[in-house]
Amino acid sequence: MRLSVRITLALLVFGLLATPAQAQKTPGELTIALSSFSTEVLDPVVGGHIVKYYLSMMFDYLVGVTPDGQLSRDGGLATKWEPSADHKRWTFTLRKGVKFHTGEEVTSEDVKFSLQRAMGKRSTTGYAGPLRTLVQDIETPASDRVVIVTKDSTLIIPTYLSRVLSTEGMILPRKYIESVGDDVFARKPVGSGPYKFVEHVTGSHIKLEAMPSHWRLGTPKYKTMLFRLIPEETTRIALLRRGEVDIADVSRERVAELDKEGFPVHYRREEAILHMWWAFGPDGWVAPMKDKRVREALNVAIDRNAIAQSIFAGKADPAAIPMGLSWSFKDIGFKMTPDMMYAYDPARAKKLLADAGHAGGFAMDVYAFQLPGLPEGKAFAEAVAGYWQQVGVKTKLIPVDYPAFRKLWVDRKVPGSMGYYNIANRDWIGTYALLEKQAYGPSKLNDTVNDPEIDAMISQVTKQTDREKINALMRNIFQRLRSEHYGVPVVYLHSAYATSKTLGKWNPGTVMYDLFVDSLASSK
Amino acid sequence: MAAEPSAGTLADSLPELAAPAVPARRRLRLPVVSLGIIAVFVLAALSAPLLALSDPYEQALRLRFQPPVWLDGGSWAHPLGTDRLGRDLLSRLVHGARVSLSAGVLTVLLASFVGAAIGLVAGYYRGRVDAVLMRVTDATMSFPVILLALILAVTVGPSYTNVVLAIAVILWARYARVIRGQVLTLMELDFIAQSRIAGAGAWRIITRHLFPNTLNTLVVLVTLQVGYVIIVEASLSFLGAGIPPPAPAWGSMIAESRDFITSAWWASLFPGLAILLVVLAFNLLGDWLRDTLDPKLRQL
Amino acid sequence: MIRFLLTRVLQSLIALAILSVVVFILARFTGDPLHLILPMSATAEDYDNARRYLGLDRPYLEQYLSFVGRALVGDFGTSIRARKPVNELLRDRLPNSLKLATFAMAVTVLVAFPLGILAAVHKDTAVDRTAQVIAVLGQSLPTFWVAIVLVEVVGGRLQWLPAAGMDSLASYVLPGFTLGWFVVAGLMRLLRSSMLEVLDSEYVKLARVKGVSERWVIWQHALKNALIPVVTFAGIYFSILVTTAIVVETVFAWPGMGRLAYEAITSRDFPVIQAVVLTTAAIVAVVNLAVDCLYAVIDPRIRYGS
Repeated sequence: MRLSVRITLALLVFGLLATPAQAQKTPGELTIALSSFSTEVLDPVVGGHIVKYYLSMMFDYLVGVTPDGQLSRDGGLATKWEPSADHKRWTFTLRKGVKFHTGEEVTSEDVKFSLQRAMGKRSTTGYAGPLRTLVQDIETPASDRVVIVTKDSTLIIPTYLSRVLSTEGMILPRKYIESVGDDVFARKPVGSGPYKFVEHVTGSHIKLEAMPSHWRLGTPKYKTMLFRLIPEETTRIALLRRGEVDIADVSRERVAELDKEGFPVHYRREEAILHMWWAFGPDGWVAPMKDKRVREALNVAIDRNAIAQSIFAGKADPAAIPMGLSWSFKDIGFKMTPDMMYAYDPARAKKLLADAGHAGGFAMDVYAFQLPGLPEGKAFAEAVAGYWQQVGVKTKLIPVDYPAFRKLWVDRKVPGSMGYYNIANRDWIGTYALLEKQAYGPSKLNDTVNDPEIDAMISQVTKQTDREKINALMRNIFQRLRSEHYGVPVVYLHSAYATSKTLGKWNPGTVMYDLFVDSLASSK
Repeated sequence: MAAEPSAGTLADSLPELAAPAVPARRRLRLPVVSLGIIAVFVLAALSAPLLALSDPYEQALRLRFQPPVWLDGGSWAHPLGTDRLGRDLLSRLVHGARVSLSAGVLTVLLASFVGAAIGLVAGYYRGRVDAVLMRVTDATMSFPVILLALILAVTVGPSYTNVVLAIAVILWARYARVIRGQVLTLMELDFIAQSRIAGAGAWRIITRHLFPNTLNTLVVLVTLQVGYVIIVEASLSFLGAGIPPPAPAWGSMIAESRDFITSAWWASLFPGLAILLVVLAFNLLGDWLRDTLDPKLRQL
Repeated sequence: MIRFLLTRVLQSLIALAILSVVVFILARFTGDPLHLILPMSATAEDYDNARRYLGLDRPYLEQYLSFVGRALVGDFGTSIRARKPVNELLRDRLPNSLKLATFAMAVTVLVAFPLGILAAVHKDTAVDRTAQVIAVLGQSLPTFWVAIVLVEVVGGRLQWLPAAGMDSLASYVLPGFTLGWFVVAGLMRLLRSSMLEVLDSEYVKLARVKGVSERWVIWQHALKNALIPVVTFAGIYFSILVTTAIVVETVFAWPGMGRLAYEAITSRDFPVIQAVVLTTAAIVAVVNLAVDCLYAVIDPRIRYGS
């Protein structure tokens, strides 16, 4: 009896171990393990930005971009673009001979269709709103020319339709979508990108197959690309060790152990700014945050270096400008000087609080949640709350998740409490768009600043076409954000991507939500 | 032939209650080890604030993940090392006993109280009352505990109270079914009929006659389930729905440090051992209680 | 028998109906899914548009009735997050959960059986105690901890077995073991006690007196009869495994129902939350029903001594 059980057990174990080599990678396949797929939707207009990681393989953008975020005539469907004298008509000239995966040629009709779809009612893309208010008409004078007519003079159109920001610039096949409908398109997407869609198992993976040859890459070096969703970090790292994935996003704290084992780690420096802000009440600022001294106190009470070194394992740098998206600084000529950095000065913090009449401290809720790309979220919130406790602020941690916090923040139900986000870094146009949404009074929902001077500066930028004037305005905006302490910017986060030892050279770039994995497949 | 309960389904009884037939002679050998372990932890929980331990909430970022004293880099200031935010592990372990043990015991007591009450009422009154109560019980039992706790966590935010409530709100159903089954059998017995004839009312019969006879089962169940609840809380912490930081709940201590299982192993091993010992002790104690108190439990 | 079946089916349907109301309310209680699918910069108008488009601006009663109406014909609506029919998601994920649960059940049986039999045959000895401790060990460790240790050590360092995904039979081992070990204790206890009861029965005593070999007694009679209640309980364990696999699925990146439920709750995806809860409840109900039928059919035979 026991013998037969034992024999069965032995046979089973033997059978399992004898299974031919545990699923080793398919040769010629690039496997990328990500901790989150975000919405996992394959239709660019309803996906949000994080889906860019895989969608930018399947679709081409109207305007291309280099890995360091400069618009490029080589990477997109438009070989050139130019504005009219009054900057109200933007003419794009399209590349010839580009075909969708179904075989049809890409024409200006497709561009017009895609743009209208991105601005349509169904769209939930990041910049659909601004585009809707800005774009008046789209003309297609020739099959390789598109003219976008705007209501106001503007500089932003090429950037908004490029790979730098979100998905509005992805060009979709009009005939295909009109014939099969949105639902089928979302499940069997067709684009003109170097990789075509093969299969998508929700919660598991997205598989793409290379087109034989593509204007962007030449003959792709990888025949297939597999994006795997692996939420647990230990598992991603185990897969890397097993040789089952080529690229995995890893938390900053575990980089050290991977370094030691010789796995190359690539960083996207300052990929995001970890920025904290106060929620408003129905009428804006509430006490005690209304007082500039309190805001400064909370800023100087934090030891940013300690946080950067410990919680983020040194893969972070202290930040000083509220909403200071540093990838835009060069564009606008903004220079960070040492005196702008906040020193760690708890004594000064206590003094400031006392001056503001809060020597005995006050109560403040601090929300604590994880975010994609920020597994250290809760630990970070705890740490910061701890620093504030040390200067007398009675902090209370509220561990609901981000959607719950967002609702409370936007509904103005939790005035004075503190939330945060790892805001993805971006170029000056994207930065301006963010400032317009986060720091501009009239866009009530998300305003975190409520300052008439800043509102005035932002509204001036909207109508400007003179780069110099725009740059100056934006520099002033940042300066005022800093001098008024309109937020608690903590650190710039460097994100780490560990790769297999055989992957070779790779520049993940400094473009929002894009890893430029197609550059790995390029034979150009 | 043993009295077959008309008590519906097999799901009434719980696998935990399955017991061997006990020989005529009884061994009253106490489960010394189990009781000992539980006593140690209860003592720790009760005396935590009085012991000379570091503040379990005090963070010191520059001291994070300091190893235990017997390893390189350890110090007697933190004998078991520190956690991710530099807090003393030993202190958090001891204070954690308060949090985790109390959560486990409270949840189970709450669930058993409600469940037993419902089971008693359903079994006594039968008929439509029973039918309605049992349908509600069925519905409750089929709702996964973890999902309910998750929903509560995203809605009103995770907290000690929410964890206790979320688990208790589902757990009571198991008690209700078992107790009801027992009550149905008991109701067939003569002495109940006699009490009724003697004019005893529902309240009296339930509290004086039925409840005491279900006490044994309850005690066994409660003991066996404390461990289960502690484990569920740990799983909830992993999903972000457990007792929230900075409280030193063992489950969340392990969850917080789960990315460092091989590098800073002490931060998850020690709370893991604590859970292991406590749950093991409660389980073995429960087994022993079942063997001694009511070996024929399986019949019910 | 038919009457019994009908009453039970009716009871299950009523329970499911109650559950549908509860889960409908709870799901909507979780908040607004739009915060997740709309970007940070969305305006109030964007929210209104999206709400109208997704049918979330209708009165609650109408939403509930529409949900129930379609659920009755097997249509659970469209996922707000994935913009796909929920049925497709279920179709993708449910078989994965069932497969894992089956494997885990096999593991449980393979471990619990030797332990249970050993413990019963060597009752009250050191063997008995050790077997009990081993079994209980599985219930005394947090599942995610076991899972992560296995992934790190067995998958990543020793590289003996796959750490994620469903590619080969070997991929089932680690998650299946983690999941199955948790219920070993219950099954083992049950087997032990069933066997003890049978071993103590008149029939076996008679066989022993007659001089039948101990081996025959154990294998031929005791085990076979002890199996019946065990098999019926296995059904219940199966449904436990299907419904509590969320932790294991997360760590091993197993695309099953548990993980689907987690994603749905964190993104406030009402249709999916409703569908998952009702589906798992239905599975539990069906399994319970099958188990009870089995028991009702088989049990009288045992009682009268086979």
